[in-house]
This record gives sequence, structure tokens and C-alpha cells, in this order.
Amino acid sequence: MNQFTFDSRLKTTLIGFMVLGLACLGLTFLVDDELHTRFWTNYLHNTVFFTGIAFMSLFILTAFTTAWAGWHTVVKRIWEAYSMFMVPGLVLMLLVVAGVVGHFHHLYHWADAEAVASDPVLKGKSSFLNAGWYTLGTLVIVGIWIFFAWKVRQLSLDEDKNGTTEYKQHHKLRVWSAAFLPIAGFSSAAVIWQWVMSIDAHWYSTLFAWYTGASWFVAAMALTILTAIYLKGQGYLEYVTIEHLHDIGKYMFAFSIFWTYLWFSQYMLIWYANVGEETVYFFHRQQNYPVLFYGNLLLNFVAPFLILMRNDTKRKYGTLIFTSIIVFFGHWWDFFQMIKPGARMTAMEALAHHGGENGHEVAEHAEQLGFAMGFTIPGLLELGTMLGFLALFAYVVFNRLTKASLLPKNDPYLAESLHHHVEIHGEEGAH
Amino acid sequence: MSRENKDVLYGLYDDEQDLLKAVDHANADHLEIMDVFTPFPVHGLDPKLGLAESRLHIAGFIYGAIGALTAFLFMTWVFTRDWPIIFGGKPYWSVPAFIPITFEVTVLMASVGMVVTFYTICGMAPGIVSPTLDDRITDDKFCIAFDVTGADDSVKSKMESFFAASGASEVNTKTI
Repeated sequence: MNQFTFDSRLKTTLIGFMVLGLACLGLTFLVDDELHTRFWTNYLHNTVFFTGIAFMSLFILTAFTTAWAGWHTVVKRIWEAYSMFMVPGLVLMLLVVAGVVGHFHHLYHWADAEAVASDPVLKGKSSFLNAGWYTLGTLVIVGIWIFFAWKVRQLSLDEDKNGTTEYKQHHKLRVWSAAFLPIAGFSSAAVIWQWVMSIDAHWYSTLFAWYTGASWFVAAMALTILTAIYLKGQGYLEYVTIEHLHDIGKYMFAFSIFWTYLWFSQYMLIWYANVGEETVYFFHRQQNYPVLFYGNLLLNFVAPFLILMRNDTKRKYGTLIFTSIIVFFGHWWDFFQMIKPGARMTAMEALAHHGGENGHEVAEHAEQLGFAMGFTIPGLLELGTMLGFLALFAYVVFNRLTKASLLPKNDPYLAESLHHHVEIHGEEGAH
Repeated sequence: MSRENKDVLYGLYDDEQDLLKAVDHANADHLEIMDVFTPFPVHGLDPKLGLAESRLHIAGFIYGAIGALTAFLFMTWVFTRDWPIIFGGKPYWSVPAFIPITFEVTVLMASVGMVVTFYTICGMAPGIVSPTLDDRITDDKFCIAFDVTGADDSVKSKMESFFAASGASEVNTKTI
């Protein structure tokens, strides 16, 4: 079956989860502090995470196209569908942008004019960290990404319909893909500075963009494995074999190590140089958020490293699904620990400045922060919100998948992909 | 290492597809192949020959684990027991600073260990000359070899007719 049908049972299930997510967001809003920090951080966290996965899927697709890769052709429709989530992602992000412009949330310390006026560091950064750049950056950069995603998709669909052995569409696709790579590299860095790194407005790290990029990449690969296995279970993608899943599993494994390498490079240089402005980021997290800090390494390094090291674990559905879920959750957790501690501090300072309830007291004891559900660890409301966003993501993706054949018919690499076979001893293990 | 000389009957093929078909043919005829020589790895040949998956990587993991432990424990011993020095105000037992060296020694031990193991398994060492059936199997010929030491003529003729039937371009015997 090459034509995916989005049946009503699946639709109902996904809508159910979306309602659950909305309910969780609503509940978070109600049980929140007066600045609704938990609500806004959850909203930003999931929006950034899933929009990033959509962006990374386009990056993966264009990088593979540029590298003349052949194996991935049978799964490329999944990534095309993923990349389309950037459109709802941008819409969701617009609410955060509106909040920065209209000051109805306190996610960003630099958006608070009073704080900037009395703070030389924030003042020095104010030429970039301001509402104007934030708005422009989000709109223009994600806009460009969406344009490229649309272009890649159009060429791919055109190839399905009018493709010939001259492969005109594929040649064009190569040009567009190659053009996207440097744009993606630089622009994703700028966007992540604005969306996430600037939450800890005093702090900066030149490695941060790579590190978050790797996080998105691994999450995208994990989600691809889950989607492909789900579709296979429904009787689609019969030509996607364990050989393709093995390769995606290798990417998940390799980029888990890459993520760890970047995480450690960032951590060790800051630890070693021991400059107060830099160490505060990790000091804060290690002191007050040990579960987040060490759990991050456990989920995203130790687990995939030990499980996926063996050849056969990348060739079995059970271990692939298990690791994909761990790693997907792990990178969601990673973004959680990037966003929450800084936003919590900002909110405390804002409360103190604006004379909120117990504001001063809280800010004075910021060195020893107590346990707060939804900050120290993700609570049930966070999990529900994540499931809601995941359902929305899945809904958009499945809806996209119905729009075209799951098999890209006239792709020049189709035959290579269909015959893809990497494993010498795979025959026995491929059950 | 001493070993007895072997009489080898071997056939050369021009193409790896012919070779793969010939191996199937030999299996169907219940002929016991001594070895197959190819100038490059031929995809799908190993399962046909019934070769088990290499266990070299398991050895590699063990060497790597030994390397990691050696490096980490040695640094721990040096900097906490033997000769504690304060570097840049850091604690004696500075785990982040140990990680890069632990990583390097892990890689070194795993790679060197695997090379030595591989050479040992293959009986290779500097100075050992490995007998070759035919120089062209390192260039463009694909070879199936049978051990015919002490075999009677009926077996040999069965093998020769197999080579003829499976399209070998050349059949020779050699004592190695």
C-alpha cells in the first residue's frame, strides 16, 4: 500500500490526546504562580522542541540529498511530512513572540525594560536581545525554513507526477538542498540563541547551537523509527526493511554520542576556565536541579550508548522502539533543563521587583531553591502537555502523508534504496 | 608454526556473480569448499559459505573497558593517593578533567588490542610469508579452493566437472 489513509479511529485518538494536552496546559495555568511561569515555559519548551524536530527533518533530508545518499529514499516522505510541522510551529511560536512584544509573559529577563536599565550586562546585549530582533528573527528565519520545506516538497511531488529519466526535478532538488545547508546552519543558531539561550540572559555559550541541534537531530531520528515501525505495523511501507531501520538506528546511536561530545565540550571548558559568569549556568543546575542534570546524561548518553552499541539491538523492533522512546523523552528532558531553571530565576526576580507576593524572600533564597513540581522535575502536567503536542505533531504529519504516495515513484535513488542491504549476517537476525 | 603441505585444487572465475552462483552450485553438490579468495569483499558471500559472525568486536569491547578502567583508576590513584597536586583550584579528584584521557586510552586499547588479536587469529606477523594460490586473486580473479590432500581420483574428477559446469575460466592444482 503506497497510499496512506488517515483513518478516523487514529484521528479520534490523536484529537483525544490534543484535548488532554490542552487540558493540562489549562490546568497548569490555573495552579501557576502569578506570572504563569510554568504555563509559559511548558508552552515554549514543547513548541521549540517540536518545531526544532520539524526543522531538523528538513536538514536531514537536504543533507542526505546533498551527500548523494541513496538508502533513505524509501523513508524520505516521512521527513517531508515532519518538516511541514514548521508551519503550525511558527503559529505557536507567534504567541510567545506576541508575549515578548506585549509583555504578557516573563520568560525572558532581557524583555523586562526595568531590569535592562539597571543591568550593564543586559544593556550591553540589548542591541540583539530585544523584542524587535526576536520578532524579526523568528518570523524571517522560520519563514525561510518553511519556504525551503515547501520547495523541497514541491519538487518531490512534481517528480512523482512528471519525473523522467532525465531527473530534472532531482537536479533542482540538489541545488535547493545544498543552498539550504549553510542557511540552516547559521540561522538555526541565531534562532536558538533567541528562543532558548537568552532565557539565561547573562550567560552565553558558543557551543549551544550545535548542542541543541544535536538534540533535535537525535529526537528526529528516534521519532522517525517510531513512525516507520508504526506505519509498517499498519501494513504500509512494506519496502522499508530492517536494513533501513538499522541505518536510522545507527544515526540515532552516532548522534547520541555526538550530542554527548558537545555537551561535555561545553561543560568541561566552562568548568575548567571557572569564570563566574559562565559557571553560573551549570552551578545552578547541579546544585538545584540534580535530577534534571544527571538524568539528562543517563537518558541521552548512558542508555543509548550501552543499548545501541551492539549490532543486533539496532536490528530488532523491540530494542529500537525501547531506545527510541527513551531517547525521544531524553531530549525533551534536555530542553526542559535548558529552559526551566533560567525562566524560574527570571520570574523570581520579576516578582521581587514588582513587589509580588513573597517576591523578595524568594529571590534572596535563590541560591538554595526548593523543590517545585514542573521545574525541579517534569510533573504529570508537563507529560500531558508533551503528549498533546506530540499528538498535534502526529496529526499534522499523518495528514501530510495522505497527500502523496508513501513511495517516491521517480526518485533516481529509489532502486538503490529498495535494494538497500547493509548487513552480511543479517538474514538470521532480521525477524 | 609448523603445518603440513596441502594439495589444493582451485578454480578461477572472472566475475563475482559467477562466483556466488558457483558457491551455490558447490553447496548443492555437497562439495566441501576449503576457502574462497576474492580481491574485494563480495556482498552475500559469507552466509553462503556458512561463516559465523566475527567475535572480534566482543574482544574490542573488553579491551576498551579495560582501557577505560585503567586510565580512570590510574589517574584517580595518582591524584588522590600518590601525588596530589592542586591544579587551578580544582579538587584532587577532578572527574571532568579525567574524561578526555579516559576516552583516549579506551580507544587506544580497543584498537591496538583488536589489531593484535586479529593478527594472532590469522597467524600473521611481520616476516611471515603467506602462500598464495595465484597472484591474480589479489587483482581481478575470484577463486574457489578445495583441499584435495590424499583425495582419490573420483572426488577430484567430481570437483573438476563442477568447475567446468559452473563456468570457471581456469582450473589448477597447487601444493602449499
